Amino acid sequence: MKPANQMRQWVVRGGAAVAAVLFLGGATMSMAQESVSVSAPMVKGALPVDDPNAAAWNTAKPATFPMSPQVHWPNRIQEVTVKDLTVRALHDGTQVAILLEYADPTQDPDDAAALQFMVGDKKAHFAHGQPMAQVEGGPVNIWYWKNKDDKAVDMNAQGFGTLKIQPHQDVKAKGAYANGTWKVVFSRPLGTEHAAEDTQIVPGGFINISFAVWDGRKDGAGDIVEKGSQKAVSSWWYFRAEAPPDYSAYYYAAFAAALALGFQFVLIRKLKKGQAA
Amino acid sequence: MGGSLLKPAILIGIVYVILKFVVPNIPGSAPLPSSLIFLYLMLTTTGIVIFATLSGESKDAFWNPIQRFMTGENIGGLQALRYAVLIVFPLLVGWQTYGSTATSDAPPAENRTIHPAPPGEYTGLSNPVAKTPENIMQGKGFYAAFCSPCHGGKFDGKGPAARGFNPPPANFSDPTTIAMLQESYLFWRIKKGGVGLPIEGMPWKSAMPRWEVELPDEWIWKIILGEYDGAHQSPRTWE
Repeated sequence: MKPANQMRQWVVRGGAAVAAVLFLGGATMSMAQESVSVSAPMVKGALPVDDPNAAAWNTAKPATFPMSPQVHWPNRIQEVTVKDLTVRALHDGTQVAILLEYADPTQDPDDAAALQFMVGDKKAHFAHGQPMAQVEGGPVNIWYWKNKDDKAVDMNAQGFGTLKIQPHQDVKAKGAYANGTWKVVFSRPLGTEHAAEDTQIVPGGFINISFAVWDGRKDGAGDIVEKGSQKAVSSWWYFRAEAPPDYSAYYYAAFAAALALGFQFVLIRKLKKGQAA
Repeated sequence: MGGSLLKPAILIGIVYVILKFVVPNIPGSAPLPSSLIFLYLMLTTTGIVIFATLSGESKDAFWNPIQRFMTGENIGGLQALRYAVLIVFPLLVGWQTYGSTATSDAPPAENRTIHPAPPGEYTGLSNPVAKTPENIMQGKGFYAAFCSPCHGGKFDGKGPAARGFNPPPANFSDPTTIAMLQESYLFWRIKKGGVGLPIEGMPWKSAMPRWEVELPDEWIWKIILGEYDGAHQSPRTWE
């Protein structure tokens, strides 16, 4: 084999090996990452706001978040039923629908779940917007669902004990229980007219979201075990309604590649002319 | 293609390997950011170009092979490699442009300070509770009741209630937590809780209760004794 041919082979093999390592490395890194955000893709057609089992939910990427007992407020609890929560979301440009899914061995009338959002630009503590000593916090917007009512309640709070039901109810909810699993869909218009009370969802932007779940089972004495601030909670995570597809980056990339190609062409022509002279 | 290009290529390769794989393994060192590695490689390349163009002959010896490769004259079997370079270069430029203009799917980066400065009144307080075996024992009892659900019975931050919280509860057996802090700092953090943090500590994310509403100061000081003893750490002092 000619030395030049041999070198060419090394280059090709080496390049393939490097590419394979980069690809595999990237793949494992993205797999190891935990969920930090719920992404709601934009869909055409009606949102499955009344159907937690609709096939349309399969188009949304699930995000799973760990849950903890609520410990911040003194009326706390040390153990809760729900350990993880899977969240999917969809939007159609005017409405958003968010599906919670979690394991609960028993269906009880007092089973309940809630979403929580920050309102406006001020940061709010994840425990009901508790007051913070050195930071001026804002309110939280809570979307609450309870099995026995099977409807949503749209609320605000700014600290424990300040929960208030809004005069304007914009949120809908529907739950379905099967095989030890709750599926609950919340839905609302992306934006509302009450920006001081309701979270406003703008496609493309990230907002904070957190979750709460109550297993409404009763203990031996007939008392509900998880109620009020005794519940499973999550920390703040992110939520984003995806913006309509934007192809401008592809155009820029094609333009830049064409420029580079043209530059090469001009350079080589120039060099060849120089050599000939 | 002479050896005049091989040596610079090998040199750049060696510099890259050292920066990427050797430097991070030097004790007390850390992985270098890719932007810094890029800067060093650019400096190396600049040095090589300056060195190679010091005299007329060395300049020709350096540039001629590059020029021949670019124009494809008399390079024999490397012709295929030349075509590959001419195709890959515009693609790389396109890829780079895409990467810098495409909208990111990543949520906003968060830069949380784990141990922000405490308010002035909580600096330099000394523990008023004597470090006696009884007080340590009592502190460990309070710790088991109030702190261990999150911070763990083994002081490792892995209590049964910890898994859902972000940021996670502090691991006291880690030498970068309470071992770096004074007792007065712990007193502030326990008493005022997560909501007592300044803005750089992102108080809205911390689950730590404001224990001043539930525990007397003396219990908190005892808990601090129990925490250090149980985690086999000592508080930081100014001596």
